[in-house]
Parts: sequence; structure tokens; C-alpha cells
Amino acid sequence: MEITRRDLLHRMTTGGAALAVGSAVSAATMTAVAHAEEPATAPAQAVGMLYDATRCIGCQTCVVACTKANDLQADSRRDPLHQAPGDLNYRTKTLIKLYKEADGKEFSFVKQQCMHCVDPACVSACMFGGLKKDAKSGVVSWNGKLCVGCRYCEVACPFSVPKFRWEGYNPEIVKCEFCKDRLAKGEEPACTAVCPKKAVIFGSRAELLKEAKLRIAKNPGKYYQDRVFGEKEGGGTQVLYLSHVAFDKIGLPQLGDESVPHQYLKWQKRLYSYLVLPAGLYVTLVGAIRNNWKHHEEHMDEEEKATGLKAQL
Amino acid sequence: MSERWQRSVPVYDTPIWTRPFQCLCALGAIGLILVLYREIVGLGPTSGMNDAYAWGIWKTFNTMVLTGLGSGAFAIGIAAWIFRRDQLHVVMRTAVLTSFLAYIFGLTMLGIDVGRPWNIYWIAVPWHWNLHSPLLEVAVCMSIYATIPLFLENFPPAIEYLYDRWPDLPVNREKVEKMIVAGYPFVVSLAYVLPAMHQSSLGALMLLGGSRVSPLWQTPFLPLLYVWAAAFLGFAFVTVTLFLSSVAWKRPLDLEILAQLNRLTAWLIGSWLVFRLVDLTVRGQIRSAFQANMFAGLFWTELVLLGAALWQLRESVQSRSPRTMFYGALLTCVGGMLYRFDPTTTAFQPKPGAVYFPSVIELTISLGFVSIGVAMFILLAKLMPILPAPLRLWREMEAAKSNQSLAPKPAARLGREQLVAGD
Repeated sequence: MEITRRDLLHRMTTGGAALAVGSAVSAATMTAVAHAEEPATAPAQAVGMLYDATRCIGCQTCVVACTKANDLQADSRRDPLHQAPGDLNYRTKTLIKLYKEADGKEFSFVKQQCMHCVDPACVSACMFGGLKKDAKSGVVSWNGKLCVGCRYCEVACPFSVPKFRWEGYNPEIVKCEFCKDRLAKGEEPACTAVCPKKAVIFGSRAELLKEAKLRIAKNPGKYYQDRVFGEKEGGGTQVLYLSHVAFDKIGLPQLGDESVPHQYLKWQKRLYSYLVLPAGLYVTLVGAIRNNWKHHEEHMDEEEKATGLKAQL
Repeated sequence: MSERWQRSVPVYDTPIWTRPFQCLCALGAIGLILVLYREIVGLGPTSGMNDAYAWGIWKTFNTMVLTGLGSGAFAIGIAAWIFRRDQLHVVMRTAVLTSFLAYIFGLTMLGIDVGRPWNIYWIAVPWHWNLHSPLLEVAVCMSIYATIPLFLENFPPAIEYLYDRWPDLPVNREKVEKMIVAGYPFVVSLAYVLPAMHQSSLGALMLLGGSRVSPLWQTPFLPLLYVWAAAFLGFAFVTVTLFLSSVAWKRPLDLEILAQLNRLTAWLIGSWLVFRLVDLTVRGQIRSAFQANMFAGLFWTELVLLGAALWQLRESVQSRSPRTMFYGALLTCVGGMLYRFDPTTTAFQPKPGAVYFPSVIELTISLGFVSIGVAMFILLAKLMPILPAPLRLWREMEAAKSNQSLAPKPAARLGREQLVAGD
């Protein structure tokens, strides 16, 4: 096969373009990998909650206190006499659930609320910072001025915590915000303040972690796997759990030690770091297309001559 | 039977206000009225979405799947402009118009789906952007792409139409055309970088779903597989569009160009299938495909559809049979759409026991916007030189125009069910 001059030129330009893209990719990747971010750690002053399922008697005082402290409308839609929501929802920021084995031998209560992750997936998902993690306390809270109501936080949260108010023209994202107004006044969250059995207690995350480990050390074999859920799970959470039954049985998901955003968005972050790669790609493409443009114009000229009509772009 | 496509020619000899067109407009109008209702009463009463499945078909189908179909401008454009598949320039106008419509309505649906649309203006405030959010990347890139490069790519046929209709427009035509030509390389380059970014970010959306997305779909390469699927979907959807319009308006097919489109589609599907299976094996998840559950079923459905598409496409490149060509492209669209949809809904298990099925209102709004898109394509294909045709048709149109006394041809009716007029 003969290689014409045009063919050769063509090959050289495409080859050059490929080379340029390739080097841009590798350069960007190398810089990005060099700057690969460390996994997030909890702020030094991080607040925390420790829930000990072995102490909880399921009285739901915390649920009522939470509703009052947060000016929520008690959810009695399932049972007109009681505040008895089936799940966390836009009227329920915390909830006590009962897990019971079919034979009734093994059972446990579990308290649900936002886990205030060390590296929250909802904050990573949020477009304009409607959900933010406080740099000092580590509390994850919602700002209605910045929220577009896309509900990506609901899709992203591994604990299914953020809830959306589905009715009306002015919906909101509702989740536990650690009673941040009470914290600001120097008070502890409503749920920990009222718990009669001290099943859920408030403190700094570091202290609570110590306390939890102390309890495990004092009572060998009492707690599931002698493990504190939230120390490392999903990159760590500021709400910690102790339980006598398996964590997944009381609705705590099995997560690796890496946070969801760190695990899954690593490459995304690398590829987009400083927009080096897209910019390099753009410059390369402009070059290649301008080059091919001449070729295309020749083509159009030939066509115009042959047809006598103005060529279409 | 096969005639060379040389020039874009409007479908000049058919009436616009036909019965099918009226039906599409009516569906669109119903959709728009329901949108108004949705804005007043909220998402709960109008959709099947819930706190577990917080995303419904407006996002997962109209935005995430249909913009995949609308990737023709991106995929064919790269083949034509970067890899010098010169023959493909003649179908670019069809590609950029279908893409523009798919994107505009994809974006509109995104706006209808969000609960607090009055806060969307933050998109214009870059220092409020959370660059780690794949959805932000999608929203920003997609709006820029649809409103600037993709919009500008549609200028040439629009200008031809405008100056043809009103030759005395105050702006000098030559000047406008010169400006377009000068800016074209910069615009089209942007038209390839931006979709590469947001089509992959659409895949990245479900990365944050973590292990709640079935391992048959969840992979760090989800973004790459998504943009790859967008490429073959783009090719295949333009092929399907060309087939349907040629049959509906009785225009000749250019089997050479269609075969070239199909050859490229086949390569993209083949390599995509290999990549997906290798990824699955390397991740050690190939076993999940052999379990008796819905996920494995969906996985094999996708694979069988795309495998059949690949077979038909390769067959058609050999045989030049229009029927095989059409089926190949159609199967590609169906299989690819299923792949893009599954990780968002059917292969996503946010909570045991949670279910989602779109409500009637949700489906009607979704269908309404698709109808508006189709109606706009039909309208613009009749007014502007969009669809490719042999030179002969252009000459006939000129002759018809210069000689008004010539009786117009009997109107071809839309909506005939014979998709392929004999092979």
C-alpha cells in the first residue's frame, strides 16, 4: 500500500495528539497521586455520643425529648395514641427500634440518629454545601439556603439517615444535628440529657472511645466482638455503639475501615485535581481539530467545485 | 437502493401539523400541566420516590439514561473531527440536534426533580461549589455543554434556515459564517471535553452508593464504563434516528455511512464487554453473576442484549442488510440504556424491603418531555437542513421552490409502522 503525503501527515498529527494526551494523562496522574489526600481524621474537639445497647431499656424518652428540643411535630401517623414512627423521617430525628430473634431469646434495642461521620458521604455528595461538617465540633448540619433538594445525600449516606420532607412546595432535609443550638448554649443534646439509664451519653469523641474500651475491658465477652462500632467503621463516626448482639442485626451496616467518599471518589479527585487533565485534553483537542480543519476545508472545496453548491458545515 | 448522502436537506414536502405531531404536543402539554401540579403539592404526592429510593426516573432515566442516547454529538463528533472519519460529517447535524434536545430536556428534568429549585442559582457562584460532588460536576458541565458548545454546534443549519427564509436579515451572512468557522475548533473541542467529564461523572454518581449498589455494577471503573456506554449509545441512537426518519419520510438510506457507524458501534461494544468482564473477574465478583437472583438476571439481560447487538452489527457490516443494521442499533440502545439505568435503581438496594415504582404522574411527565423532544426534532427536521440526503433531493427542493406552480408532492404520513422498507 502506498502512503500518500496526506496520509502521512494525518498519521503524524493523530500520533502527536495521542502522545500529547498520553503525557498529559500521566503527568496529571503523577501529580495527583503525589498529592493523594490522607484519610480524614476527626477534629480534636469532636463531640460524640456513646450508645450502649446493653443498657437501653427502650423507654423512648430520648425520642420524645428530641421531638421537643427540635420543635418537630410528633409522628403519630401509625398509631394515633403514641408517637410511633416506623423509621427515621422528616418528623423524627432519632428513634428506638427493637431487634428480636424469631425464637425470642436474643433481643436488643437500638437507637438511630445521624452518625456524624468523620468523613461524611452526604457532605461529599452535597453540591453547594447545604450539608456541612463543622470544623471544630464535627457536627454535620443542614443549611436550607444552600440546599437545592437534590436528595443525593439520601442516596449517598451508608446509614440511610438524611430524610426528605416529601410533601409541599418547600421541602427540607431533616436529620439529627446534634442539638447544635443546645451545644452552643453549653448544654448537652436532648437525648443524652434525658436518658434514665445513661444508655446514651454525651462527651468528646476521644473520651467516649476510651470509656467504651474500658467497658469492654471490664466485661470480657459481654460485647459483640469486643468492638466499638464507629471507631473505624466507614472511616469512623462520632456516634459510637456498643452492643451484645451482632451490629448488622441491629441495622448497623458492614462497612470497611475506609470512608465511602475516600474509597470511591479517590480516582475522581485525582483525575480532576486542579483541572490539569481536562485543560490538557482541551488544548490537545483544539490543536488536533485545527489541524484536521484544513483537511476538512480541502474536502469542502472539492465538494463545492463538484456540486456547484455552497458546502455545509 | 442505497444512495450516497451528500447534503443535509429539510423534509420540505410534508405538512407539519399532522396527527402524530398533534399527539406528541398533547402529551407534552399534559406533562407541563402536571409539572405545575408537582411544583405546588411537592414530590411526595406526585411521585413514587421515598426516603430509600430518593431518586426516581426523572433523574435516573430522563437525565442519566437519555443523555447517554444524546451522546451522538460527542461520539460521532470525535470520530469525524479527531479521527477523520470524513464520511460521518454528513450525519453530524442529526447528531448535534438529537443531542441538544436530549440534554436540554435532561437538564429540565433535573430542575423539576429538585425540591428547592430556587436555590439553583448557587450554580453561578463557583466558590460555593463542592468540587468533590459528582452531581455538581454533572450539573455544571452539563449546563455549560448544553447551552454553549452544543447550542453553537446547531448554529449552521439554523443560520441556513434563517437566511433562506429572511434573506434581508440586517447582519451580514458572510460575517456570521466567518465567525462560526473561526470559532469552530475551540467550540467543538469543548464539546468533547465536557461530555467526557460529565458522562463519566454520571457513573461516578452511584460510586457514593457504595456497597448498596450490586457488585456486578459497582466498580471504581463505573465512570469509565458509563462514558464508554454513552459513546456506543450515541452512535446507535443516531443510527436509529436516521433509520426512522428515512422510513417515515421516505428518504433513501446511505448504507455505506450506516455501515461505518455500525462498525464503530460494534468495536465500542465489543471492547466495552471485554473490559466489563475483565473488571468483574479481577474484582473477584464473577461468581455473583452465577447466583440465582434478580441482579444476575439483569446482568445477563444486559449482556445478552449487547451481545446480540454486537452480532447483528457485525453481520450488517458484512451483509449491508438494512434490517440487520436497524436491529443492531436498536438492540444497542436497549441494552445500553438498561446498563445505564440498572445501578441507579434496579441494582441499587438502599434498604432491605424498600421498593420504588414510578407513579403515573411521574411516568406521564417523563413521557411528556420525551414527546416534546421528539416533536421538536420532527419540526426542526422539516424546517431546517438537518437530515442527510442525496444531492438529488436538494436539487428537487430548489426546483420546487423556484417553480411554485409545480404541484407539491402528496404528503407522506408519519407514524407508519413499517420501520424498514424492504431489504
